[in-house]
Amino acid sequence: MSACLNAKVLANELVGPDVYLLRLAAGPIAAAARPGQFVMLRVAPGDEPLLARPFSVHGVEGEDVLILFQVRGRGTALLSQAAPGAKLVMWGPLGRGFELEAKRPALVAGGMGIAPLGFVARKLEDKGILFHLSSGGATQEAIEGLEKKLGTSLRGRLECRATDIHRLFHAAQEAAELSTSTAPVSGICTSTTMDGSYGEKGPVTLLLKNLLSLPPELRPDAVLACGPLPMLKAVAAMCAEKNVPCQVSLEAPMACGVGACLGCVLPAAGGGYVRVCQEGPVMDAAALDWGRIGA
Amino acid sequence: MSAPRMAVSAGGLGLKNPVLAASGTFGYGQEYAPYLDPGAIGGLVTKGLSLRPRPGNPPPRIVETAGGMLNAIGLANLGLDEFLETKLPWLARQQTAVVVNLYGESQEEFAELAARLSQAPGVAALELNVSCPNVKAGGMAFGCDPGAVGRVTRAAVAAAGQVPVWVKLTPNVADPTPMALAAAEAGAAAVCLINTLLGLAIDAQRRRPVLANVVGGLSGPAIKPVGLRMVWQAARALRQSHPQVDVVGIGGIMSGVDAAEYLIAGARAVQVGTANFARPGAAGRVAAELEAFCREQGLADVSELVGALKC
Ligand SMILES: Cc1cc2nc3c(=O)[nH]c(=O)nc-3n(C[C@H](O)[C@H](O)[C@H](O)COP(=O)(O)OP(=O)(O)OC[C@H]3O[C@@H](n4cnc5c(N)ncnc54)[C@H](O)[C@@H]3O)c2cc1C
Ligand SMILES: Cc1cc2nc3c(=O)[nH]c(=O)nc-3n(C[C@H](O)[C@H](O)[C@H](O)COP(=O)(O)O)c2cc1C
Ligand code: FES
Repeated sequence: MSACLNAKVLANELVGPDVYLLRLAAGPIAAAARPGQFVMLRVAPGDEPLLARPFSVHGVEGEDVLILFQVRGRGTALLSQAAPGAKLVMWGPLGRGFELEAKRPALVAGGMGIAPLGFVARKLEDKGILFHLSSGGATQEAIEGLEKKLGTSLRGRLECRATDIHRLFHAAQEAAELSTSTAPVSGICTSTTMDGSYGEKGPVTLLLKNLLSLPPELRPDAVLACGPLPMLKAVAAMCAEKNVPCQVSLEAPMACGVGACLGCVLPAAGGGYVRVCQEGPVMDAAALDWGRIGA
Repeated sequence: MSAPRMAVSAGGLGLKNPVLAASGTFGYGQEYAPYLDPGAIGGLVTKGLSLRPRPGNPPPRIVETAGGMLNAIGLANLGLDEFLETKLPWLARQQTAVVVNLYGESQEEFAELAARLSQAPGVAALELNVSCPNVKAGGMAFGCDPGAVGRVTRAAVAAAGQVPVWVKLTPNVADPTPMALAAAEAGAAAVCLINTLLGLAIDAQRRRPVLANVVGGLSGPAIKPVGLRMVWQAARALRQSHPQVDVVGIGGIMSGVDAAEYLIAGARAVQVGTANFARPGAAGRVAAELEAFCREQGLADVSELVGALKC
């Protein structure tokens, strides 16, 4: 059940260039939130700016909701100023989250796409499912901190491989080798940057390509992706070619977040439109008409 | 002091309070059920309905602007049959007046919609949208011509039987009075204004319009002064010639005081639109704040505000 409440800011910490980790007290939302769902958050007290902003739930700790956000414009700039003690109107959890039934899931994060996938990673860890995370960004500065932060939020270890992308994960056996009794491996992470300053040089889809070319028994049996639309479009096409189910977490400008304004649509496979806030934000990539989505 | 009387009679309906949720901003009501019991407001107006389903315009469809937003939804809706089957039964169970906003591309379509909807149980009133800026046929094209407003209204009134017909007018005219009078003359129980103001947002870097439809309708606090002015104009004219026809005020209402301003300008009831996006359940808050305002003002009845502008 969704709720609208005045959430108290508990912390708002700079964790990367223009990237903040915001902690809000919001018991009812924390209790109901599932990985991939989002909230609508007013970025300042009062009526300005007029509309709330959508943010994925990055994690839930007890009664707290965590949001990982990047300053993009006026609203997120204001939000970066929110000081502990401030109260912000927030409603959620909203939309559909990820299905986490896979045995060998590959998470693909483009830049801030890591926001919802952090929650996914912790849920998979809870379920004892080893995951692979491909994380891509502009520069080392942009992504290394986020990966580390995600790593520390897991109980087990996130084994980060900046370079060695060919000897990839699962091999549950490999995980077992890497694990020690105190720090079992929960996931394996490889990275790319556009400038080559960290991990492989190039787009994050480079890593996915390698994963998808593994023999079928080692290949991911599900891809869970979040990032800019052009990246998602490329991911969807690669997965379709290899027949690997692909779930994408989508973005669109939103006014209401609850399915009422019909402002947040994307073209649906078979014609018409889907509302990102209702039928998404996480959707089976095959449910969208990528040909009508400009990238 | 005892609580002020909030119930009003407006547009042929008895409403528990004068605050409704505006068309296109409250979905089919159920979307907001976790946040607002529709029984807390006087009524709700459903998303503009056409005979057949409409997919609407390509995205992007919305953008925030200073004190408001532009939308070009293009009257996306599920069509009459689906509405009657899947949306109306829930709406009919709510303790509130259900007003169905409808849109036709011709006079005949308006009449057919009015005929079928007025037979459906649970529909309290019909609101004709002759003012949508985001569609090519009908919509605003009807709404800028008093002759067309009169014809469409007359056809719908004849088809609707006992069910009151409201007519929603566009602000994209110099003076809404001729349209208001034409609707009144044709048998409307109320005129509702304003719909959105035609606007344009530009992305200077890309030298492109922000919305795929290029233009869109402006709503939110930025349009309140325009809405107040037009409600005042229409109410003044109708009071002379058609005192039985009410004005429903819409445009930029965020608070109870905003609602009071519309009543003072001459509206008998108001609709809350974009504010619902800004805070789910805003219409309920506006109703509660309006009651608090009446109390502060020492009013026995909210209707004492109606047309109380001194000038
Ligand atoms: C379901 C969903 C989940 C999201 N989760 C996160 C998250 O976890 N972390 C995060 O940092 N961001 C997330 N976003 C994006 C975030 O909502 C936008 O960055 C934010 O709304 C920008 O607001 P602003 O006022 O700072 O920017 P504005 O001044 O409004 O715009 C600045 C730029 O951001 C773009 N923009 C505006 N609104 C959106 C939007 N809703 N989606 C995409 N681009 C937009 C504009 O086109 C413009 O280029 C999410 C978006 C959606 C739809
Ligand atoms: C996203 C959106 C969709 C709308 N859809 C409709 C509609 O289908 N029919 C209609 O008559 N008015 C529609 N409107 C207009 C509103 O009902 C209202 O007249 C207008 O937004 C002004 O009020 P506000 O400033 O309180 O939003 C829509 C407005 C918005 C913002
Ligand atoms: S944001 Fe309003 S319908 Fe999706």
